[in-house]
Amino acid sequence: MSYYLLLTLLLLPLVGSGLVFAWRNTSSKYLALGIALVQMFVTFYMLSDFDFNLTVDSSLQYEITYPWSKFIKSSIHLGIDGMSMLLLLLTNILSPLIILSSYNENVSYKNSFYGLILMMQFGLVGVFTALDGLLFYIFWEVTLIPIWFIAALWGQENKRFEFTTKFFVYTFVGSLFMLAGIIYVGIHSASFAVTDLYNADLTDTQQIVVFWFIFFAFAVKLPVFPFHTWQPDTYTYSPTQGSMLLSGIMLKMAIYGVIRYLLPITPTAILGISGQIVIILAIIGIVHGALIAIIQNDMKRIIAYSSFSHVGLMVAGIFASAVLTLRGTFTIEGAEGALVQTFAHGVNVAGLFFCTDILYKRFKTRDIRQMGGLAKVAPKFAVLFLLIILGSMGVPLTNGFIGEFILIKSIFDFNVLASVIAGLTIILCAVYLLRFYGKAMFGEGDASVLSTAKDLSPVEFSVLASIAVFVILLGIFPQPIIDMVGTSLKFVYTSLIN
Amino acid sequence: MSVLIIVFLTAVAALFTGVFEKGKFARYIGIFGLIVALYVSFLPEASFFEKYRLMYEYGANTALFTKISIVITLLLFFLGGFAFSNHRNHQSELYALMLFALCGSFILFGYQNLVTLFIGIEILSIPLYVMAGANKTDLRSNEASLKYFLMGAFATGFLLLGIAFIYGSTGTFDLYRIQDFTTVNPKNGMLILGAVLMLCAMAFKVALAPFHMWSPDVYQGSPSLITAFMASVVKISGFFALFRLMTIGFSGVTHEWINILGVFIIITLLLANVMGLAQTNAKRMLAYSSVSHAGYIGLVFFGMNTLSTYTLAFYLFAYSLATVGVFMCLIWVEKLKRETSYGAFKGLAKSEPLLAVVATVSLLSMAGIPLTAGFMGKFSLFSQALSRDNNAFLVIVAVLGSAISIAYYLRLIIAMFFYKESSFKTTERVTVTYNIVAVVIIASLVILGIFPDLFAKQFGL
Repeated sequence: MSYYLLLTLLLLPLVGSGLVFAWRNTSSKYLALGIALVQMFVTFYMLSDFDFNLTVDSSLQYEITYPWSKFIKSSIHLGIDGMSMLLLLLTNILSPLIILSSYNENVSYKNSFYGLILMMQFGLVGVFTALDGLLFYIFWEVTLIPIWFIAALWGQENKRFEFTTKFFVYTFVGSLFMLAGIIYVGIHSASFAVTDLYNADLTDTQQIVVFWFIFFAFAVKLPVFPFHTWQPDTYTYSPTQGSMLLSGIMLKMAIYGVIRYLLPITPTAILGISGQIVIILAIIGIVHGALIAIIQNDMKRIIAYSSFSHVGLMVAGIFASAVLTLRGTFTIEGAEGALVQTFAHGVNVAGLFFCTDILYKRFKTRDIRQMGGLAKVAPKFAVLFLLIILGSMGVPLTNGFIGEFILIKSIFDFNVLASVIAGLTIILCAVYLLRFYGKAMFGEGDASVLSTAKDLSPVEFSVLASIAVFVILLGIFPQPIIDMVGTSLKFVYTSLIN
Repeated sequence: MSVLIIVFLTAVAALFTGVFEKGKFARYIGIFGLIVALYVSFLPEASFFEKYRLMYEYGANTALFTKISIVITLLLFFLGGFAFSNHRNHQSELYALMLFALCGSFILFGYQNLVTLFIGIEILSIPLYVMAGANKTDLRSNEASLKYFLMGAFATGFLLLGIAFIYGSTGTFDLYRIQDFTTVNPKNGMLILGAVLMLCAMAFKVALAPFHMWSPDVYQGSPSLITAFMASVVKISGFFALFRLMTIGFSGVTHEWINILGVFIIITLLLANVMGLAQTNAKRMLAYSSVSHAGYIGLVFFGMNTLSTYTLAFYLFAYSLATVGVFMCLIWVEKLKRETSYGAFKGLAKSEPLLAVVATVSLLSMAGIPLTAGFMGKFSLFSQALSRDNNAFLVIVAVLGSAISIAYYLRLIIAMFFYKESSFKTTERVTVTYNIVAVVIIASLVILGIFPDLFAKQFGL
């Protein structure tokens, strides 16, 4: 199959980013949107071209292998399997929506802003297609610089120095440990290629050390309790588009990384106490995040903590299946659920952040106690917002349901008590999201605000409507996603046992 | 050897222009001489000075480091026109001294005899003592000069005592004969004492903690271009000299000094990075950053293999390029603002975007962010050290050090980019030379970060 398609997918955002930077003009947003749309169509074309009926051993498609450096046992090795495809879809569908969502806003330094978003997209595509440990790390770090600039330059004035530095230092420290871990595994294997890393010759102790080194980076990015303290601040004070990128896509890099890199490299560690510790931390995170979300009044913080809580469930599911598989009952359910949830959560959380942006524009505050009654004047918004809220809560027939269901089932197979506690997420999520929705949309609003508040503008409507379509569509037909990731997950989980 | 002669003659010529002319002529002579030297360094070395072979060898590694140091010096010379424009009277001397110091570097790259090493170090150091005090009206510059001189003399004492012990135990100054002797007699106490003394002396020169105390003051007091020279070329020379000494001369007694060096490195990485975090002045921050990089480079001694020299060269080159990149920005700011606190950089990105970008790319490279040369350098160092399991602790410390360092590099980037209003009201624009150097540095850092093999090919590896 033609690998030019993959090369286009990778390089288009990079070249586009350069063009947008050079285009020092207010119309640079049109250029950026155009590039993102082309990128989306390339992805769809790829999807139509993608062969889903492959055997477990050769699920990679569009492979590119190019020797890189004779001094490094690393090569430029890119390729796509079902798992990558899903995350590429998420990235390339959300990116144009994110660009579109800022369409009517008067963003300062437009060309830099959109250029950075596209550069970010380049890094994300790289992360999801890299099949080489070092290359993965490089793209992983490449995403950090643009998002840091986006968060800091367009974030909330007074707070941006503290929170961006904290964010950057946290993630950078995590990444460096991951680098050390990857190098260590690379030294003990034939090369940095994924399959070679899987077969690395590590003793049990070495595996545990490597596990924590690599996991640290993912734990910070996800975030897993107790590495989450950067997250609420960063989500709150970043510009809306930054929050959408961070929670919608960037967080998913870590989910992907855990499945693709961490599990198969360090099976012994996962079977041992380390895997259990991670599951416990993840479950603590679920409850902890949800409980804090309930008492928050800042709407961006509610979503930040809700995201923290949801991610805990995904991590617990992935590790639960991994432990079960290692104990002898082969199951990929947890990982399947996590990936379905990854896609659903990415779409939903981006939608939620966009809704907070719309609310903020109407009410000029992020405090939900000072809102109310918007449903009366903005019925279109009320409906779409509700759909997204329902999706996030995981109500049946929305996209959030199926993932959460599979996840809780797989945790149930692992440990009943754990699944009961993890299941709290659904109840608690309903509590804080309905509180948020109720306060903002119903009740007695400030009459003067409501009299001037408008319903959705066409651009806002198109973004929210596209997201709502995904919420419903994937809620009714989740099977394509499960099929898409099945083969690649089987491959990964089989490598776990061998 | 012919490179050495060309640079020496250029230095003399530059020195003499001072007699006739007060302006920038010395700089043009220097640039011309350096370009010729660079060209000659790519030619195969003639065996013209065969009879001095026992004092000086010009192998592939020597050639490699010679080229690197010429390139970096050349970049600094291009910046010199702007940096020295208020040194009305003694410009030619400064350029000449820089070239003389470079001659010292060349000797250090190829010494085969401890006497040559000593001579090389002195030729490198004495011009630096003078250059550090070039701002005669500035008290800090005077302090820097005196401090550097006293500390340097102290280090020289260590070095000489070390050499004396080595001579006493082995009866030779020749590096390879010392190597033969150590492999046969690895338990000779006097030899080990000599080796450790020499290690300490060299640690002074490359500013490894706990012998780094002079460097922040000297770096801050010296004229910025000279500081850039110290942080780049001098560090390259000192490190390669140390590398030759330890891996050739004392390779037989590695286990005796490697732990001491390990302790130096751990202290360096923690101390320098924490101190760097505490600075409010960009120039002092860069001084501590330079000390911390000595710590990273020190990892090259752990996990020695055939690629060690390449790793060392690559890291030093990447680091030096980044140093020049940051310093060219710093020189500009210092010139306009007369100070180098973080506040002085506020809003630089608005008035001089290219300078801000070159400084940012350089700082990211120093921090080891991927797609810059610094990442490839750090990656090679870490992977080399990790090839032995018992070095894991050192690498963890290095990782922690890098993690701390990113925080203070970010502060400078934040100052340049994150202020909406520019504090630069001047109408003075960056010169064309400056822009060209900036583009060259950005391009080199990024290209080497993506295609590290280009470097190896370029230097014949």
